Amino acid sequence: MSPIENSSSWTLESDLEDLDIDLQDYGPSLPPKKVPNGDIFEASRAGDVDRLRYLLETGVNVNARDRWDSVALYYACLTGRLDAARLLLENGAICSEHTFDGDRCHYASLNLRIRKLLKAFEARPPPLAPLQASLRETFLGCRHNRTYMKQSSDANFDVSVDEMGSSSYFPPDVVFFVQGRPVEAHRVILSARSLFFKQKFENEWKDRREVRFSKEKLSYPALCSLIHFFYSDRLEISVDDMEDLVRICRVCKCESLQKIVEKELIHQKYAEYKTHRDLDNSMKRFILQGVSLPEEDRLPASLHRILRVDSLADVCVRVEKRSYYCHQVILASRSEYFRARLSRVNDFHEGKNGLPGDSLPFLEEHDLSAEAFEKMIEYMYTDGLEEISPDQAEEIFDVASRYLLFPLKRAVADALLPHLETATPAELCHWLVLSDMYGVLKIREYCLDLVACNFEAFVETREFRAMLLTLPPPSGDSSLRTTVPSAPGATMTTDQGNLLDDLREKWLEAEALELDMRDESALIFDKRLRMLVEMAEQEKSESEAEDNKDTGP
Amino acid sequence: MIPSISLHRQNKTKKISIPVLQLFLILLFSPKSLRASQELIPNPNPIVSPSPIPSGDMSNQKKRNFQIEAFKHRVVVDPKYADKTWQILERAIHQIYNQDASGLSFEELYRNAYNMVLHKFGEKLYTGFIATMTGHLKEKAKIIESAQGGAFLEELNKKWNEHNKALEMIRDILMYMDRTYIESTKKPHVHPMGLILWKDNVVHSPKIHKRLLNTLLDLVQKERVGEVIDRGLVRNVTKMFMDLGEGVYQEDFEKPFLEASSEFYKVESMEFIEACDCGDYLKKAEKRLTEEIDRVGHYLDGKSEDKITSVVEREMIANHMQRLVHMENSGLVNMLLNDKYEDLGRMYNLFRRVTNGLATVRDVMTSHLREMGKQLVTDPEKSKDPVEFVQRLLDERDKYDKIISTAFGNDKTFQNALNSSFEYFINLNTRSPEFISLFVDDKLRKGLKGIADVDVEVILDKVMMLFRYLQEKDVFEKYYKQHVAKRLLSGKTVSDDAERSLIVKLKTECGYQFTSKLEGMFTDMKTSEDTMRGFYSSHPELSEGPTLIVQVLTTGSWPTQPAVPCNLPAEVSVLCEKFRSYYLGTHTGRRLSWQTNMGTADIKAVFGKGQKHELNVSTFQMCVLMLFNNSDRLSYKEIEQATEIPAPELKRCLQSLACVKGKNVIKKEPMSKDIGEDDLFVVNDKFTSKFYKVKIGTVVAQKETEPEKQETRQRVEEDRKPQIEAAIVRIMKSRKILDHNNIIAEVTKQLQPRFLANPTEIKKRIESLIERDFLERDNTDRKLYRYLA
Repeated sequence: MSPIENSSSWTLESDLEDLDIDLQDYGPSLPPKKVPNGDIFEASRAGDVDRLRYLLETGVNVNARDRWDSVALYYACLTGRLDAARLLLENGAICSEHTFDGDRCHYASLNLRIRKLLKAFEARPPPLAPLQASLRETFLGCRHNRTYMKQSSDANFDVSVDEMGSSSYFPPDVVFFVQGRPVEAHRVILSARSLFFKQKFENEWKDRREVRFSKEKLSYPALCSLIHFFYSDRLEISVDDMEDLVRICRVCKCESLQKIVEKELIHQKYAEYKTHRDLDNSMKRFILQGVSLPEEDRLPASLHRILRVDSLADVCVRVEKRSYYCHQVILASRSEYFRARLSRVNDFHEGKNGLPGDSLPFLEEHDLSAEAFEKMIEYMYTDGLEEISPDQAEEIFDVASRYLLFPLKRAVADALLPHLETATPAELCHWLVLSDMYGVLKIREYCLDLVACNFEAFVETREFRAMLLTLPPPSGDSSLRTTVPSAPGATMTTDQGNLLDDLREKWLEAEALELDMRDESALIFDKRLRMLVEMAEQEKSESEAEDNKDTGP
Repeated sequence: MIPSISLHRQNKTKKISIPVLQLFLILLFSPKSLRASQELIPNPNPIVSPSPIPSGDMSNQKKRNFQIEAFKHRVVVDPKYADKTWQILERAIHQIYNQDASGLSFEELYRNAYNMVLHKFGEKLYTGFIATMTGHLKEKAKIIESAQGGAFLEELNKKWNEHNKALEMIRDILMYMDRTYIESTKKPHVHPMGLILWKDNVVHSPKIHKRLLNTLLDLVQKERVGEVIDRGLVRNVTKMFMDLGEGVYQEDFEKPFLEASSEFYKVESMEFIEACDCGDYLKKAEKRLTEEIDRVGHYLDGKSEDKITSVVEREMIANHMQRLVHMENSGLVNMLLNDKYEDLGRMYNLFRRVTNGLATVRDVMTSHLREMGKQLVTDPEKSKDPVEFVQRLLDERDKYDKIISTAFGNDKTFQNALNSSFEYFINLNTRSPEFISLFVDDKLRKGLKGIADVDVEVILDKVMMLFRYLQEKDVFEKYYKQHVAKRLLSGKTVSDDAERSLIVKLKTECGYQFTSKLEGMFTDMKTSEDTMRGFYSSHPELSEGPTLIVQVLTTGSWPTQPAVPCNLPAEVSVLCEKFRSYYLGTHTGRRLSWQTNMGTADIKAVFGKGQKHELNVSTFQMCVLMLFNNSDRLSYKEIEQATEIPAPELKRCLQSLACVKGKNVIKKEPMSKDIGEDDLFVVNDKFTSKFYKVKIGTVVAQKETEPEKQETRQRVEEDRKPQIEAAIVRIMKSRKILDHNNIIAEVTKQLQPRFLANPTEIKKRIESLIERDFLERDNTDRKLYRYLA
């Protein structure tokens, strides 16, 4: 459920299996443990991937150092936790051998597999933002494009295609044939990114599903990497193909990209004199991040433009009697819900009431406000969120969960956090319940911390007591109470456990009690809660009675 | 009271300050809001009343008292909410299963499922969906059970497709649960769960499980006996097994399938082996194998291919391997004898698939080869003619080479087996080196006339092949040297190139040492030619009279033969003296001795009635004939006195002059086959011949006689001694100390390319070296030898 899983994962495994080492060398020195309440360092050391994922979701700094000046990745490497290390790396842990932290990790690696993992990530560009990542997945979901990625990228960059099942596949609506090889694409994306394609699609290629280029000069790898760039805002190209790319850019009127590539070509020309070519015969690749381009030429800006100008729209979404013209490929790429909905159109009722004639297919969404939908669409297209008021936050949480747009929740949470600084206990209770419901871990964690630290103040408020009534009682499971790691393999619901259990744990932490006192203190806490619940019930019946009196005869 | 809250948590400090006024406000408004929440049940039954609560209302409320409204926005107070929503979803699932989904709204169903999960009814939804689906599948199972005969599989397939379609739709509706609730509780996801339910309720239902398996196996069985079946249907069903998971496929289908196949082929192979000969059996086995591979391609999982082929291999081949190979009149030996390349190829390809298959074939082939080769080389009849003998070996080798290259795919192990077999039996006959050398001699004397260079190379290469098998290569060298010498001196060499190319081959095979003497012989021939030219240009007066051609041979390079003295006729000896003085004049410090026994002479003779002939004779014969210039009749004694040729040589030479019919230029009295001491000789005036030139050969045994053989043998042994000693010294020099067994082993290894050293001989050599103070025995351990520098 986290974006971590969404981000394309890499086929390191297969690569690592090639190493001809005794199997015993692979495993960590100790079996992985569960540390339900450990910090990022403990979780890394124990190899508790679930906990780690939870912590990362709550926004912990992955490169933070503990009081021994060590980063989490260091512990994962030291103890040989391959999965944990990988998770950290995928979330941007620094592992370059030339940095202090990275060097330590390399040095501490328990086995060759870990070392190889570090190496693989060293040469890898940082993870893509959610928008780019999901569009890239759509691009690679097309069968023919996958073969391109496979052959063009070296082992480290290879994308595991098998893991993206057919489910993440949104059918392309145009196929280019270059030098006899097919490239699949979606008109909307190409039109958004390049004026050239837009005009072509409006005129000559209007009704064509296939476009064949017969020009000898047009090279397949160059075009592929350009289209890949259109989707992902990241250019990956071998140096040999760069001249072809410049030519294509000129035709496609991608001026800013052309300029950068041309500049880089000059660099490369001189670089050849500097490096010994014999030493490294592997194909040299050039990687360009979208950040290098001017703002208006990046993917979010381009999509923002087409959101405003709906001439390319191929679907209409009706919310609260208002129509929004959208693009199927973007909706489907960003939200599994829409992908399923668009592909299931014919199976359900919706297929029938499509408007006659050539008007766009249309979807009706109920039970949400147009404003929230607007915000969501904006986020879908641009990965950005205009100013969000706390009033709207809840609705957007709802929308984000409902449309399985989990990165949005984080974005909203980030926007919301400053507002919470000045929130009242009652508001905080409200946010706590909400964040628990929608799984906004960052907010939930923040609220829990505050409640635990200011427990007495919250006890005073009636809202807090009222809240207790709506929550399931804390579990009596004492194994959850201490930070002693439970036995390996113990079944645990790691993220989003019982809210009051978590609160108790935080409270114990805040009170900083000695370990042997903890069980006693926990009992006291439970007793206290029971009392509060009783009080709340009493208050509730009183107020009901009052209400009855008010509304009575 | 203004509560100021400060929190201390380890070393971090957060502060929040809460204005008291706001706190009050909340307290005031809260009761109202609670009441509102009870009235606002969000959209309890959207299908029945699809218009939701007007959103305008909601936003109004929100604005009125945000903090508290938000509190209960989604709180479900209606205790029946979950049940109601679930009923809607349950009805939808039913409709989907009844293929009646077109009336359903995806958006609505999804929203309902989403709300259920959001309000923590995930558990209810999950168990409900499982229960509903289980119910449907139970019904489906009943329908499938009731299907009769052939319709059974079709019905199953149909239901499976329906289930798949429905499952996909349900998964999409329940997507939110799939992504959140199931993810966090680590339960099986919707789609896998649907497959599990199908497996448990349909495939594993007691009435279907066995029947399904038996139907499938029946179909396969039918196809094996030649009936046509609906492959597409079987394919779909096996694909279903695969979709349910590899474990299900293996357990529920593959394993019984393999067992049934094993049983089938066990019976069939027994039938076949009783009824067919080896070739036919193999044909049938091959056909079965391709059928099975075909079957896998058509309707089984690719991973089954290895398993089913291994079953066929085991039952059809491995279990009957020995019997097949040794089958009377059609087994391997028969195939080899009759050059049945196709059958052999088939056998190779099939046996390669089973463990030890090829080893069995190879062993039988090797033992057959050895048996046959042994007969070939030890048969005294066959070893009479050396050329024929070697030719037979070569033919045999060609035959097996062809078998290996065409039928056995040039398998290295078979080539090795072939080589080791040849090595084994060639060395059974001690005369093999001689025969091979004779074969070469024969080829180079006459056999190569009119053959292209390329073919010559081919023949020589084959000879080299045989040469490689020889263990006693030095014996070959000895003979070869003799034969080359004879060829060179008698000028019988057909092709200089061929000679040289063979020497090059020997050189690459055995090293420089082996051929240096042979090369010396060729250089001698060359320099002799130059010398003769020089001799005649310095003595221009000699252009008339007899011509002398001298070949100066370096001692050592040539096979030594004791120089037999003889008195040359005066005309010749004068010439000889002139040459000697010429030669010694140009080359100082050399000694010339005449090898008259190796020379030849062309003499012109006029017989009684004026018949003129040119006689080609040996030097000895010339000496004898020249005597008749001065007298008509000579006795044996006189001849012996005049020429001083040793008796056996003289007898042989007289025999060839007098006793060979058609070439008897002198007559002997009395007429008899053998030469006696008292015989008289006269010129045969009546000698006639069709040819002008008459060649009178000496009676020479081509093969060595027994004593000669012994002599050669002895010389070889003699030559080996220094080589063994040299090897011992070389080894000891580097090792310093070594025990007896190791020395023997190392010496044998070092001398391998030349000959097989005899351990007793090595021991003798060691002792001799100890005597000469090259080595000494260790004082403590008598088995150790030390090298004395």
